[in-house]
Amino acid sequence: MEKAEMFLSLKETLVLLEEEDLLARIEEALTSGVDPLAIIERGLLPGLKVIGEKFQDEEIFLPELMRSALIFQGVMAVLQPKIREQGRIIQKKGTVVIGTVKGDIHTIGKNIVRLLLEIGGFEVHDLGVDVDTFKFIEKAKEVNADIIALSALLTSTLSGQRDVVEALAGQDLRRRFKVIVGGGAATEKWAEEIKADGYAETAPAAVELAEGLVARRLREGGRGL
Amino acid sequence: MIDLTEIFDRADQGPLVSETDYYLGRLVPKLAGVIARYRIRWDKETIVNSDDDLVDRVFQAAVDLIAETGPYCPDTNRVMEFSRDEVLRAVEQTPKAVVFGEGRERKTMYGRGIEEGGRPWIHVGGAIYMTSEEICLDTVEGMASITLADSLSVPSLLHLRGRDVRVRSPQELLAAVKTVILAREGIRRSGRPGLPIINGISAASNAVSMIAAASPCFGLRPSDGFLIDFLAEMVINYEALQKVAYFNSIGANIGSTATPLFGGYAGGAEGVAVLAACYLILGSLVYRGNYHYNAPLHQNLRLSSTKPLLWAIGLANQVNGRHLRYPTVNLPYLGGGAGTRMYHCEIAAYLLAVVPSSGNIFSGRPAKSVEPDSLLPKDHQFHAEIGLACARYSRKEADALARILYGKYEGLLKNPTKGFRYGEVYDLKTKKIINEGYLNIQREVRAEFRSLGFEVSPS
Repeated sequence: MEKAEMFLSLKETLVLLEEEDLLARIEEALTSGVDPLAIIERGLLPGLKVIGEKFQDEEIFLPELMRSALIFQGVMAVLQPKIREQGRIIQKKGTVVIGTVKGDIHTIGKNIVRLLLEIGGFEVHDLGVDVDTFKFIEKAKEVNADIIALSALLTSTLSGQRDVVEALAGQDLRRRFKVIVGGGAATEKWAEEIKADGYAETAPAAVELAEGLVARRLREGGRGL
Repeated sequence: MIDLTEIFDRADQGPLVSETDYYLGRLVPKLAGVIARYRIRWDKETIVNSDDDLVDRVFQAAVDLIAETGPYCPDTNRVMEFSRDEVLRAVEQTPKAVVFGEGRERKTMYGRGIEEGGRPWIHVGGAIYMTSEEICLDTVEGMASITLADSLSVPSLLHLRGRDVRVRSPQELLAAVKTVILAREGIRRSGRPGLPIINGISAASNAVSMIAAASPCFGLRPSDGFLIDFLAEMVINYEALQKVAYFNSIGANIGSTATPLFGGYAGGAEGVAVLAACYLILGSLVYRGNYHYNAPLHQNLRLSSTKPLLWAIGLANQVNGRHLRYPTVNLPYLGGGAGTRMYHCEIAAYLLAVVPSSGNIFSGRPAKSVEPDSLLPKDHQFHAEIGLACARYSRKEADALARILYGKYEGLLKNPTKGFRYGEVYDLKTKKIINEGYLNIQREVRAEFRSLGFEVSPS
């Protein structure tokens, strides 16, 4: 099989969510000496891009998104050690700490954003729901995050987003992390009011926002990724 | 009927699984399994289903899903398991009627049948935030003055003494109390003091606030209705079970409510239909509900007037009409802002999907373009009239008309029309409508409907 043909088949197998078949094809590719990094960049990442587009077009939904993320994690567990053996690293787009703010127990919207960020090439640390204000900051410091992403569905929990921004300022960390907000209750106006770095109405828009912020940060000569 | 303590025990003693395993190992594959087993498929065109065999298959799928999956309690990380016999017994024992209100306003809401034709229950209002006590009072008074209305959903206050109300705070409890007091006063001013509030209690996000504000000291009565929600998807937490314990103990009307999310764990239209049917059954089985709020929603668009959702919502109502007859209203989350042409076209399509399918009438809630103070009583009167017009249609006729109406707003769903706020339409002193532009839209829409053969008679 030609390499281009093989990468295409990896992409399509991932899009079809056929885990066993995908693992077998990757094993075959590795045995025949294909570069593991190329498998990711030319086979799997294009597949994940298609999955993201299908989600946006409502051809697939959250269950398929979760499944694709799990399959990707499984595949990466095979490929990562081989890449490390070669002394190389996988370039990630950035690191995001995400969670639903204190007092709010809604999970689905936040989970979709998390999965789309992962599929989009970000390293994501999900703190879950009803997250303590300072836990966001501790985690962001611990993993050297680029972005803190805050979800709030209820109007009465929006203040949790403001609290994180305020607590960051209180610890003199406001410029270190970009803060983005979303969820049913958040709006562009609200994001401006609390001086967040951005607002996204939908999960795909959150990924675009995160990509834009990280790119801007690099252009401005900020911390590399 | 399973003893209530036994129900609570299931949340403490069922199989222990993580949330991720519950979704990935149980709910998601089982939901996909029952959809395949019962060949449930949306044809991407139909808005109002008229295939009774499909209705029966969705019902069977819902029964199987509950029996094979069970709801999840995140406080204990346990699955609440129920046998198929227990599920079917709950279906049999589901209440077919609920009595709301007091005095002259004391009435019975029935679980309707498909294409029943009689006058459905008319519920108006919405739990939208209000920026001032004055507008809150006026809005409720205006809603209660709609003579067609049988019950109300009342709004919530955004601020208490000018400050944001934070979840689980003492201010939230006070705001919930204040909301109840204002709502009851607004209803009293309309001259219909016995009119029931059945979205108790919109301003209370937690059990403590809800139970506190439900005290008779503030004006609510057991003959009002108290909503207890399922979290998406199939999640029943301790907060909900505490509310069940309390409102059951005082013999109040309990309304089960759920928002299956299109695009979430439910997946697409088929999953939403099955889960919406599950929640009807679970409302009776676990919450001991007397009535149900069916409120599916699009995860991204935050509205319920898309074509697949209308199909799923109508289908779940048909399951109810053929198998349960649980008194049900459906919460129309609409894209268009209050008073807009889009908003009225959406509610017409929504009620055509729901009313001939056995649902009762609920006026539209601006959701996507929602602004505080955007409940306009004149809109809700119009929606009640639209709902009554829908009751004359068979499902087939309703489908044809709903497709036409859907075409009028489909292109606006991602960027809906902004609407009016109370103060832009009503004179705050006289409470009369002063915005001729607003009235013109409603007149034009009524004429547009008439040109389609959809006659909406003014009340």
